[in-house]
Amino acid sequence: MDFQLKQRGRASMHFLSDLAVATGPLKAKIDADLLARGLDDGALADDLDERMLQVDAALADSSAAAALAMLGEYSGVNHGRVAAAAFEEIEAEIKPRLQALTQGPTTIEPLPGEARPDYFDAAWIHRTTGGWDGHPYQGFVHGELIHRHYVARNYPGDIYAQRREILSVLPRRDYSRVFEIGTSSGNYTLQIARTFPDAEIWGCDPSPRMLEQAQRIGNENGFKWRLFIGSGEKTGFEAGCVDLVTSYIVLHEIPAEATRAQLREAFRLLRPNGDVLFTDVTRYAALDKKGVRWAEYTAINGGEPFWREAASLDLAAAAREAGFVDVRSEGFRGGIYPWFVYGRKPA
Amino acid sequence: MIDLTPNDAAIRNDRAAQLALMLARELWVVKDRLMVLEAVLGKDGQLRDAVDRHVMEGVDKSALDAERARFIAEIMASLQAPGDRP
Repeated sequence: MDFQLKQRGRASMHFLSDLAVATGPLKAKIDADLLARGLDDGALADDLDERMLQVDAALADSSAAAALAMLGEYSGVNHGRVAAAAFEEIEAEIKPRLQALTQGPTTIEPLPGEARPDYFDAAWIHRTTGGWDGHPYQGFVHGELIHRHYVARNYPGDIYAQRREILSVLPRRDYSRVFEIGTSSGNYTLQIARTFPDAEIWGCDPSPRMLEQAQRIGNENGFKWRLFIGSGEKTGFEAGCVDLVTSYIVLHEIPAEATRAQLREAFRLLRPNGDVLFTDVTRYAALDKKGVRWAEYTAINGGEPFWREAASLDLAAAAREAGFVDVRSEGFRGGIYPWFVYGRKPA
Repeated sequence: MIDLTPNDAAIRNDRAAQLALMLARELWVVKDRLMVLEAVLGKDGQLRDAVDRHVMEGVDKSALDAERARFIAEIMASLQAPGDRP
């Protein structure tokens, strides 16, 4: 959707995203500071809590660590507020277009089998002000302003291409119905729809505000998606009604038990020979001690209360426990990010 | 629950530092706007003198007053913990 921010909003968003980009070199300096203090991987504590305290104490006089904390705090707390303020400047002119895009072939309906999970309101994920439903147009604010203008500039690689390319992991192209868990504002949904143009697309998310943006994207592109308000853990759909269940970068936002529940529900929903593909952040088991420390630091300060338990979950074991076979849990294309778990429901 | 990064947290709770960053952002917005204005207005040599002499009135004055109030509200927000902010 084409739109133009007013000068204040545009300049504020540019400032925040450039500020975040500028913290990149600080991380290299902090790693060097740790080594200078004798904290190589062998010297770091095995216990993660102990390691966090060990590193924090060691960096007490690191100016790079201090700068990262100050800048990270500012960006973390304010990116949602700044984006919402940028939206308010254009709200009057853009609202009619946003409302018009709720009309079309893509629909939103509740999942009758599900209640809003308690964990969903336990924290403001990503420290986004008010959480996923914290703004009447949070889907647009997060999907278009924060994601496109802020997150995309601060994550390695092309975050949109990653959503498309991960689908190459799948062994089939003949899916007739795909169910996406954690649709959010519809970025992955769009890639699924383009990759499998003949498939019927279903998606779910506990946040109505985020789904509204997915609906706009669906309608804007002429897609007939069925979107459901729910977490995908107990959908109430009949068993054996889909060929593929998939999610992208959702698992670290939910408790490990919710992931297990989604895998069990995916297994139930899939037809024989159906596939599951969940993609998420790097597993802690694939990182060295320093890498885990960085991930944990990001989680603590980035509004990610479930990251540790999610990244520590053995996805392959969880998939097998749910009944899947041919299970793969690995980094995409031999890397460590993104990480995916694939499984097939036996015939 | 233990704070796993107490030194880091102390820096994050430094309201003056957060205020400085908020002011830096506001300053950038103004600098950005000035550059846009200069580009829009081109080579109008009378601009600076006109700005110096201009008296804001009516709707313009109301907008300026409102913008100043918003600016001060931003300062106040930066001086408060995130959960206490408006």
